[in-house]
Amino acid sequence: MTTILTQTIARLLLPPTFMVAVAVMVKGYADTGDGFSAGVIAGLGVLLQYVAFGYRVAERLITIRTAARSLVAGLTLALLVSFVPLLRGDPILTHAPAPNAHVIHLGSLELITAVLFDVGVFLIVFGFAVGAIGMVARAIDRSAP
Amino acid sequence: MTQHLLNPAGLLLVVALLAAPTAALAGLRRPSWAGIVGASMAGLAFGLAAWGWRAGGDRIDVAWAPTWDLRLSFALDGLAVLYALLATGIGALVLIYASRYVPLHLEHQHRPHTDEIRFHAFLLLFMGGMVGLVMAQDLVLIFVFWDLTAIASYYLIGFDRHEAEARASALMAMLVTGISAVCLLIGAMLLYADYGTFALPELFARAESSPSVTTAGALMAIAALAKSAQAPLHFWLPRAMAAPTPVSAYLHSAAMVAAGVFLLSRLYPLLARSDLLLDGLLTIGFLSMAVGGILALTREELKQVLAYSTISQYGYVVVMLGLGGTYGTAGAAFYVVAHALAKSALFLTAGAVTEATGEKRLAALGGLWRRMPLLAAASGAAAAGLAALPLTVGFFKDELFFVAALKRGPVFAALALVGAALSLAYVGRFWIGIFLGRSRAEAQPIPTALVAPVVVLGVLVIAGGIVVEPVTDLAASAGAVTYGSPTPIHPAYHLDARPENLLAVGAWALGAFLLVARPIWVGVALAVARLGERIGPARGYRLLLGGLNRFSDRIHAIEVRDLRSRVATVLVPAAVLVGAGVLVTPTRDQFLVGGVRGADLPLLLVLLLTAIAGVATCVPRDHLSMALVLSSVGYCLAVVYAFSGAPDVALVAVLIETIFALLFLGVLALLPRQVLRYESFRAVGTRRGLRDAFVATITGGFAFVVVWGVLSRPSPQQSVIVEQADLTPAAHGKDIVTVILADFRGLDTMGEITVIAIALVGLAGLLQRGRLR
Repeated sequence: MTTILTQTIARLLLPPTFMVAVAVMVKGYADTGDGFSAGVIAGLGVLLQYVAFGYRVAERLITIRTAARSLVAGLTLALLVSFVPLLRGDPILTHAPAPNAHVIHLGSLELITAVLFDVGVFLIVFGFAVGAIGMVARAIDRSAP
Repeated sequence: MTQHLLNPAGLLLVVALLAAPTAALAGLRRPSWAGIVGASMAGLAFGLAAWGWRAGGDRIDVAWAPTWDLRLSFALDGLAVLYALLATGIGALVLIYASRYVPLHLEHQHRPHTDEIRFHAFLLLFMGGMVGLVMAQDLVLIFVFWDLTAIASYYLIGFDRHEAEARASALMAMLVTGISAVCLLIGAMLLYADYGTFALPELFARAESSPSVTTAGALMAIAALAKSAQAPLHFWLPRAMAAPTPVSAYLHSAAMVAAGVFLLSRLYPLLARSDLLLDGLLTIGFLSMAVGGILALTREELKQVLAYSTISQYGYVVVMLGLGGTYGTAGAAFYVVAHALAKSALFLTAGAVTEATGEKRLAALGGLWRRMPLLAAASGAAAAGLAALPLTVGFFKDELFFVAALKRGPVFAALALVGAALSLAYVGRFWIGIFLGRSRAEAQPIPTALVAPVVVLGVLVIAGGIVVEPVTDLAASAGAVTYGSPTPIHPAYHLDARPENLLAVGAWALGAFLLVARPIWVGVALAVARLGERIGPARGYRLLLGGLNRFSDRIHAIEVRDLRSRVATVLVPAAVLVGAGVLVTPTRDQFLVGGVRGADLPLLLVLLLTAIAGVATCVPRDHLSMALVLSSVGYCLAVVYAFSGAPDVALVAVLIETIFALLFLGVLALLPRQVLRYESFRAVGTRRGLRDAFVATITGGFAFVVVWGVLSRPSPQQSVIVEQADLTPAAHGKDIVTVILADFRGLDTMGEITVIAIALVGLAGLLQRGRLR
């Protein structure tokens, strides 16, 4: 598997994979896809590195510790988006701006807190995918003679 | 009605509930501070309770969850004042005692002295729970604090957690009082179903004497009686003596056990709607008096004597509540105070004596008054109080008891006399056995902190016997809350031959006779005790617990035998439940067979492919191929979603299938080769093979039937989907799936991503031995 060809392709594919992931996430409200899919796509990009380079090289790219941080950050973000409305006396997960109120547009992306929530989902799923892959890969690496 | 917390009631509640965390924080800086800070907090709470009493009580009523009709409603009424004073006052004394006792205890057991913090924190949590319980004016709040005391008691009884006996005792106390607490909840629910409120004042005003109120009252009384260790649910209390002595002292006098009779007093207006319930209380009370009294006479261990005496003494209180009326209700309150002072002093004495001599048994003790005269005098006062001798507050508790019993009839008076005589006999045996007679054990000097609380309590017992008015006021105002109208009681010394005086003299005489004539009756008492062990409720508890354990072990053994059985234990119950659901619902016209159009052809082909892949996974071969075939089922399903107009789901399915197929292969690489080979080519017996096929067929069959039924009709959920589709533009979205995930059903997503996070932690535990690095 670890031929020059696969390694070159894997390395070349990584930035576009992340780009696609981010696109799937931010366009989630307008088109197919959401933070969950985006997280898995980005995770697959990292998985490709593990397949092509093996655990020791790929681990330099993104560590399990980073994955855990991404997961914690995502969970914190999602919890904040969920529970901050409580402080204003609204039910949990009341998104701002309110329905039909004015929203800032960035291209097809509309800036609402639901997008932030989706970013939280993305970070969690990405963290889970990379963490799980990394841990399995490390275990394989250790058990190899 | 006050909305803020700045009144005695609010401050008392806040201080009592903050005591445990404050003491724990102080203990983190230095372990010995936990006890001091805790005792100060308890003392402060005592002061606030006393202030609240003087200020005439006060209440708090704050909305908690208004949509569910729940309010934080507390009142510092007479009944609450009495129990709050006991819980905080005796709590403070016990904490002072424990601040010396627990370090010695930990030293004996070679444990780190930081464990002291745990002890004080849980004792204060107990106190906070009691204060909350006695002030609560709402059945839900009562239930919450009720269970809070049960949890605190679990940790306190099991404080010596390296000892199996302590753990088993804690579990028993937890199970008996915790399971019976469910009765309290059920009773509350019954009342709520009838009257639509959990608020006690409203319930008292509106409840009539109906069968459902009687049932609810009986259920709640069961919870209270179990907590008060009344027969036949008394067996957990003597076991709970595994706790360190200060815990026992607190548990028996002012917390746990007192909580039971408190609940009876609080709910008396409901219980009194039915004569049947009151008669039941009388029966159980007398039974407990007899059981506790006779067994207390047979025990040798100091704390066991006191434990059975508690059962018997709370039997008195239950009897008084069962007798009811002015003297019954106010007398019960008075009794609780007198008993709490005396009983806590005797427990603390037992702890101090054991600390000084290292002996726990009456037979090994004696003549200690020469070595510890102060302790002997103070605990002598307490013992005299419990035995209802004159010049102690205890004399009046029996006077009220006799008056209440006489009002009902001569039989009750006679039973009361026997009960009082029993209590004089076992208390006398306890105190005489320790302090009088021949010296049998060497006594080390003991710290002042182990004697001073006993002295304070002994002085209070005597003071109450000389100036009885404060206790009378307290009991009368508590009785008024219980009875629903003023309960003027006038305990006093009367030097004449009125019936209650004659009964008291008779009780002393009979008690003294029992003390002296021990050889005559001890054989009978021991036989009764043995009979109780043979056929008593404790045996039932053991049998029940053992049976449940064996049942669960058997299920577990089946479940963990191999992977097939584990899957079967999930699938078979699911299939049986679903199948039962299908069989009992009418199924006519519920299963439709639609037509096939030309445009459906690609979908049909993919479905066929899915089915083929599904069947292919059942063909045994090596694991790698099986994993790949399994993932091909997933890919085929993704294509089905794509054809059915669900691109979002299809995308997720493809992605998930990819990542899981790769992880699956990775995990397979982790398994040793010979395990895989063995698992692949091991011959499965015909019976096992048939069983697996049967399980798979019925599970798959019922799943098929359910899916068919669901697909056959437009579900009511359809309207929800239409509504959400209409709302999507308003929520600033164009893709309904994402909007549902992040907005409409955002809370579900929140739960699911939390599960993902937890799953990674679990994976880390499996693969990394707990290190997430």
